[in-house]
Amino acid sequence: MNELIPAFDWHQVMVAPWTEDLELFGWIGLMGLLVTASCGLVGNYLILRRMALMGDAVSHSVLPGLVIAFLWSGSRGTWPMFAGALVAGVTTTLLIDAIHRRTRVKQDAAIGIAFSTLFAIGMLLTSIYSQQVDLDAECVLYGEIAFVPLEPMVTLGGVEIGPVSLVRMAGVLLVVGLLIIAFYKELLVASFDDGLARAMGINPAWVHHGLMAILSIVVVSAFEAVGAILVIAMLILPGATASLITRRLSHMHAIVLVHALLSAWLGVSLEVWLDCSIGAAMVVGGAAVFAVVWAVIAWLNHLHTSQRPPSPTSTNDL
Amino acid sequence: MSGTENQAAPLEIHDLTVAYHKKPVLWGVDLEVPAGQLIGIIGPNGAGKSTLIKACMGLLPMQSGWVKVFGQSLKEVPTRVGYVPQRESVDWDFPVNVMDVVLMGRYGRLGLFRRPSKVDRNVARDCLDRVKMLPYANRQISNLSGGQQQRVFLARALAQQADLYFMDEPFAGVDAATEAAIVTVLRELRNQGKTLIVVHHDLPTAKQYFDSLLLLNMNVVAFGPTAEVFTAEQLQRTYGGRLTILSEVASVLGAGNGGVNL
Amino acid sequence: MNPGGAILGSLGRRRLVWALGLAICFAPTIQAASVQDIANTDWGEQLVRFFSFRDASLRYALVGSVLLGLSCGLLGSFIVVRRMALVGDALSHAVLPGVALGFLWNMSKDPWAIFVGAVVAGLAGTAMVSALTRTTRLKEDTALGLVLATFFAVGICLVTMIQRLPTGNKSGLDKFLFGQAAALGGDDVSLMAIVTLVAVTLVGLFYKELLATSFDPGFARSSGIPAEWVHHGLMLMLAASTVIALQAVGVVLVSAMLITPAATAYLLTDRMHRMLLLASGCGVLAGVTGAFFSFVGRGLPTGPLMVIGASTVFTCAYFMGPRHGVIARWWRHRQSAARTERENTLKALYHIWENGGFRDVGTTLADLAERRKETIDEALGRSRMLAGHGFATVDSNVVYFTPEGRQRAAEIVRNHRLWELYLTNSANIAPDHVHDDAERIEHVLGETVVRELERRLNYATVDPHGKSIPGPRDIHRDAAVRGGDGGVRNPEETS
Repeated sequence: MNELIPAFDWHQVMVAPWTEDLELFGWIGLMGLLVTASCGLVGNYLILRRMALMGDAVSHSVLPGLVIAFLWSGSRGTWPMFAGALVAGVTTTLLIDAIHRRTRVKQDAAIGIAFSTLFAIGMLLTSIYSQQVDLDAECVLYGEIAFVPLEPMVTLGGVEIGPVSLVRMAGVLLVVGLLIIAFYKELLVASFDDGLARAMGINPAWVHHGLMAILSIVVVSAFEAVGAILVIAMLILPGATASLITRRLSHMHAIVLVHALLSAWLGVSLEVWLDCSIGAAMVVGGAAVFAVVWAVIAWLNHLHTSQRPPSPTSTNDL
Repeated sequence: MSGTENQAAPLEIHDLTVAYHKKPVLWGVDLEVPAGQLIGIIGPNGAGKSTLIKACMGLLPMQSGWVKVFGQSLKEVPTRVGYVPQRESVDWDFPVNVMDVVLMGRYGRLGLFRRPSKVDRNVARDCLDRVKMLPYANRQISNLSGGQQQRVFLARALAQQADLYFMDEPFAGVDAATEAAIVTVLRELRNQGKTLIVVHHDLPTAKQYFDSLLLLNMNVVAFGPTAEVFTAEQLQRTYGGRLTILSEVASVLGAGNGGVNL
Repeated sequence: MNPGGAILGSLGRRRLVWALGLAICFAPTIQAASVQDIANTDWGEQLVRFFSFRDASLRYALVGSVLLGLSCGLLGSFIVVRRMALVGDALSHAVLPGVALGFLWNMSKDPWAIFVGAVVAGLAGTAMVSALTRTTRLKEDTALGLVLATFFAVGICLVTMIQRLPTGNKSGLDKFLFGQAAALGGDDVSLMAIVTLVAVTLVGLFYKELLATSFDPGFARSSGIPAEWVHHGLMLMLAASTVIALQAVGVVLVSAMLITPAATAYLLTDRMHRMLLLASGCGVLAGVTGAFFSFVGRGLPTGPLMVIGASTVFTCAYFMGPRHGVIARWWRHRQSAARTERENTLKALYHIWENGGFRDVGTTLADLAERRKETIDEALGRSRMLAGHGFATVDSNVVYFTPEGRQRAAEIVRNHRLWELYLTNSANIAPDHVHDDAERIEHVLGETVVRELERRLNYATVDPHGKSIPGPRDIHRDAAVRGGDGGVRNPEETS
């Protein structure tokens, strides 16, 4: 066991990553923050619209899109990646619709069939063309966030900004943030009440497809960092934590950002301590935050109910 | 069945309170139902009609109070109680045919490990015949119309051969012919000395169909023979002002107990 | 045929034409070593080797995949009809930390330790889902996704920590992620056999309870069936069968082996017991194909291959299922559209006859075209279609009823007018509003409904528009007395 769990060294775990090793962990922490924040912002809408499992489906099914895009373009460039993800995202939605609209198979089973098929195709292509794709099973599962500091730097006007994937992720977060600000009202209405949205001239179908497109882009950018399955956690954990605390969407967005910061920080520390996969460590950090919030709220509820003054039967005499 | 068991009321409810997510839906319901009657439960939407039935059947947790069936708890006499749930509560694409569904009414009597026997099949066939659905015995259930689905549910309840029946909106969304057929079957059952408690939503027909009425709005507004209870004043009390006060208090309570509100 | 082709085939059938084209472009240009291996395979020889039971590890792989297909298909059927497909998904991801902890128990791949650990972790996952939905306002989908990913992340942390250890490096735990049927050992297979046997026995013993609680849990509980216990038992068996499938299919895709074969069976039958048999069959088929291609492809992960096998079977059922398949539905739709079209033409002929438009014994195509507001060519096409079904004969540009045609036409007109009368009389709909409805209903009214309508309408003979309703005597007289009346023409007589 001592081999498995190393001794906890306060300085090494909590301080060193942000001081001596900032060069290395700074980028990783920042990347984690960007990934969790953009996933979490999109995830808020998934949770509100009860589409959390579409996030699950899309995060699995971008894999074949990614692999085919890499094979097609022969590179791991940003644009082929986005194109592949978009096509894969659209295909997933179409497949799910084709299965559950045209047969009596229900939506949950349709989601399961569609994403597992696409993911299996992606995995198989990855193993067959492992030389060409430069993606392996490990990357698909754990992500490569640890390699972010080793990536070539993007320079703008002679100034080094940051590693390629980090800059890309920052761009995605910026776009997601701007879209949310620009369409805040429309998204809110369409998420709560389809009928009202229609009456206000907002086409819920467009909102849905737009959201799926953004989801595909976000998922594929996060994919490289944290892998296919951990992305789901990034999508759901922040929003779930936020919706325990508040019911207002704007507050949820704010809490998501805080949650992202906490899980990136906890994740890096956990990784330094336990020497495990960073992506998974960030999710575990985020889950710990969720668990604490859950426990605190349950405790508050308990306090509240134990000193409840009116019993239902006594008010009955009204 | 003889002696003491038969003398106990088919259904006795004492101080029953049921809440969804800590928001009370039924408050302090007291009720004693006489045997051999066809009883309708009416009340506005959200009055707790279905909730009352489900709580009696032990399908919902009670916050307080108790329910006795023939003087015993439901767990002791499950085979004496029959149930017709709302038609929308099941998936009609489910891979079973009409006969399978009606046979499910026999499962409670069969107990563990026993398969439906020829006797059970004959009972099921008789029940299907009583609701005039025998020709459809081998149909897949998704190929039935709404009225036919409701008759299948009724046949399943008949197959339970119970003494007390709970029915949740058996007339909702059925055609006139089915409605008439169901009423006939219900009256037959009543004439055999069974007790039937039926949630109903249509006031004019309620007066026609039922021997007694239970006017419900979160608690019992009135219960008694139809002629006595079905008055403008009582209906006003059921559907009128009381609703607003009670539901306001309930929502206040629900919010107070419902956790963090920012 | 090679696996690459199979994948492409599967994609193409799902109408991903772009992907097909793309992948075809790649197949010749990229000469991946493994692809060449596959292309050079002697298929006959490999088939014999795989199914001959000579080779111990192959024997284990074959028996193992049969067993896992069986148990997953059987239990998966229940989660599909209970609409819990994604609970299976969450469960299968949640077992990963249990696998790692089971390995840590004595630092070896002891099947029993891993089995117990994984089942416990899976059940903890489902318990947490229900705790979350009960105590918070999170919806079930959110709770499922949350538990799935969180447990999986904990599992990944543990697995990466184990792999860092000197002993863990060659632990083979990575095989649990994507599956390798070839890595199955004797212990694994006997565990699989036990679990499958238990699953089959329990489903056999409690079939009645499982069926009743799946169809209508409220009713089942009310009639004294312990629905909670059935549910917990099902979850336990589900966790167990997920875990035994892990080594061959992998954590990531094992849910597909629960869902896809069961959904395939759901498309093929309308009875639960047949669905169980079919789902197990599809599961076995998918399992064996996956194991076989993985064996041939030397080290290709088994899980994706099994899943693609299952999805291919599903795709076939999706398109070619006899009753619920897309092609069957489309065909039925087409058939009924064609029938409606024929019957409308017959009705037009009847109307012409009724209005005295028959010259001698038939009517010209021009009249028919005029009546249906079509071109002569279209009228000719329709008449030929009628002729093809024996309802009419066409001679140069004159159309004649056959007795059958005349009879059918009279029936359609009767249905139409009866329904119009019924709507006006019984449903109080204005006479000028009933035509469109009758246009649709006339094609689907069965004989018994017609009898009932006639009885209720007191065998009325005139419709709301004052036209006469053909009675049974009008309809059958013509058929009985061949060519006796102006409307009917025996083909032989015309020539």
